[in-house]
Amino acid sequence: MALIRIADAVKRYGDTLALDGVTLSVERGACLALVGESGSGKTTLLRTINRLTELDSGRVTVRGEPVDAIDPVRLRRSIGYVQQEGGLIPHWTCLDNAALVPTLLGHGDAAGRARDALRATALDPDVYGDRYPRELSGGQRQRVAIARAVAAGPDILLLDEPFGALDAITRSEAQEAFTALRESAGVTAVLVTHDLREAVRVATRVAVMRDGRVVMESAADALVQEATGYTAELVEKSGVAP
Amino acid sequence: MNGHRTVAAAALAVCAVCVPAAAAAPQRTSRAPVQTDPIVVASKPFAESYLLAETFAQLLESHGYTVDRRPGFASTELVFQALLRGDVDVYPEYTGTGLAAVLGEAAEGGPAAVFRRVSDEFLARWGVRWLSPLGFENTYAIAMRRGAADSLGLRTLSALAEAAPGLAGGFSPDFMGRPDGLDGLSETYGIEFRETRSLLQAVKYQALAEGAVDVIDGYSTDAAISRHDLAVLADDRRFFPPYDAAPLVSRAFYDDRPDAVLALSRMAGRIDVDAVRRANERIEVEGASIAEAAAALLVEVGLSEGGAGQVETGGDRPPRAAVQPPDAGPGSVLLALPGHMWTERATLARQTARHLLLVLLSLGAAILAALPAGVALERRRSISETVIRGAGLLQTIPGIALLAFMIPIFGIGAAPAVVALFLYSLLPILRNTYTGIVEAAPDAVSAGRALGMTEVQLLTRIRLPLAAPVIMAGIRTAAVINVGTATLAAFVGAGGLGDPIVAGLALSDPVMILAGAVPAAILALLVDWGLARAESAVAPPGVGS
Repeated sequence: MALIRIADAVKRYGDTLALDGVTLSVERGACLALVGESGSGKTTLLRTINRLTELDSGRVTVRGEPVDAIDPVRLRRSIGYVQQEGGLIPHWTCLDNAALVPTLLGHGDAAGRARDALRATALDPDVYGDRYPRELSGGQRQRVAIARAVAAGPDILLLDEPFGALDAITRSEAQEAFTALRESAGVTAVLVTHDLREAVRVATRVAVMRDGRVVMESAADALVQEATGYTAELVEKSGVAP
Repeated sequence: MNGHRTVAAAALAVCAVCVPAAAAAPQRTSRAPVQTDPIVVASKPFAESYLLAETFAQLLESHGYTVDRRPGFASTELVFQALLRGDVDVYPEYTGTGLAAVLGEAAEGGPAAVFRRVSDEFLARWGVRWLSPLGFENTYAIAMRRGAADSLGLRTLSALAEAAPGLAGGFSPDFMGRPDGLDGLSETYGIEFRETRSLLQAVKYQALAEGAVDVIDGYSTDAAISRHDLAVLADDRRFFPPYDAAPLVSRAFYDDRPDAVLALSRMAGRIDVDAVRRANERIEVEGASIAEAAAALLVEVGLSEGGAGQVETGGDRPPRAAVQPPDAGPGSVLLALPGHMWTERATLARQTARHLLLVLLSLGAAILAALPAGVALERRRSISETVIRGAGLLQTIPGIALLAFMIPIFGIGAAPAVVALFLYSLLPILRNTYTGIVEAAPDAVSAGRALGMTEVQLLTRIRLPLAAPVIMAGIRTAAVINVGTATLAAFVGAGGLGDPIVAGLALSDPVMILAGAVPAAILALLVDWGLARAESAVAPPGVGS
């Protein structure tokens, strides 16, 4: 059974139709990349999964339960989340940042979990734990953000352009770290990106979005071959070798 | 009496004020035969008004009454408002002022007719009574340097009309704004000055003597007229109404305290113009305190034997004038200041404490109101602009005007002052709280929310700690503005370091002005320094430069 299921999702902002009847599902252990240009609705769709955005109509179920039946705070604490530019709390140390969700959940060993999570993202807690975010490089900050998202051991991880602000080399390192972490932790991930190359690289499945609709969905390794129409344009633009 | 304490104050600020304000009221010995409220004696901010009010006060005290002195109200309007409310029991007023400035009428007939007119009309309209005139008249004296008047051959106001286009006038704000002042004068005589300036009582004579202006409005009893050897132009068309000085008493005072009214009435007709001029001279030239000059005046006119205990200084008395030549240069003012401040240290300490109390109450109330409001505005950003602009509008109201608005609602004393200071403090705190909260790491807030932090947790763990230095900077700005503005509180009888400033302005005594201004400035610097330290103390780690 799919871990996340989205059916006929519709969301309007004024006159703009941000989601125009999207239906998608994500299997346990998969990594789905939502790809599209800005304004295609991919971030809106991602945010419906942890109720940062409420649908006008349609339904989202997580672990078999409709999300609108779950308290949003409880729901969000059970799902990891990484956003562009990290969003680390600036006056907290890296360790405190990473310990956020375990602390919110009242886990006894929040600091220990945070240290494990930092290690899992290739940051030595003894070196980086007591540093403040601004004392780290952009790539290191983003790894702390990922550590924070996974520290409480969620089965779902949502990522919104997590590598968007990084330079090319740091970016590919961070992508590799993410893939390693995801596979070792067995976490199910949904990743928003405008970069088709990144989608193909880190995801198992790719959904291409345009004007609030999913125009194509396929396995990541089959996307380039199967691409038609708009997706083919994107493939060409991104320069991914066929 | 003390109506401001009984007013059902709507604002939280005022409720917070009443108890401490009452507690902070100076202690008095209860010599009164009947245990009642002290009699509130007020004055306007010029030397003679201080003097007459002090004679009222001493006369009442010699009859065993307790007196609450509230000298130095900013204007006729303010002190009359307070009298109507019963917050002030008695103050010295002039019939011509009552006629022109309060009733808005032109004079008809002589002094007796004018007195009859204001007596009847004040009683009919407000139940306010004029007691019998004291026995002297103090009219406006349009004055020039004698040399200038002689060289232009000016003796009368009619003659001034021809010379006026080449002359500069300097007039007190009160005179410029009154129908029996500059406007009426210009109309009656056709006088058009080259330019007119608004000058405070304190600097008017000096400005004239130094040639900065050519014509001023003085009072006929001012000692400065003879001191500077000025020429007073005759009011040949009798434009100025008669200005007989008399005690003006509130309805409640007249009805409830007939014995005290009787005591005041003993002054009727006993104070002639020479006695007043001598008393003014003692204050302005010889450096006597108001209390001493008033005591001497009472002895001179036979209303007191001048025994021991008559002349008390300190306590609730108006501050003693610094003994120094009135025309002393800045150097001697600075030399005289430490000695004067040392002599007055007890009074100054009390005024400083009072000043701090006004600031702390208003600032505390403003923090309690503006901080939650600034936080709440973050969630209603669409109206935030409007609300902050509204608070900004409050700040554009001049201090005196704001205090004047407060008197009808809150009476006199600490309440209107604290409310006015409270309103002034709102903007910096509100604006900085809102800005601080909105600009506190928005991406960390959105990430925190996405990870399951509640709105309260976002506020208390991310937004407030990050906004704290910005909020503290707003509080600091408000506090410094507040310490300065609180000096205006003296104009509504609230006390504080404005008392010596206002009295010093009225008496043209720079040492006395500085005795209030210097501690106020030091207080402002200390508050600024202290809150700057608080600002860095609350700065969160890991951010900033």
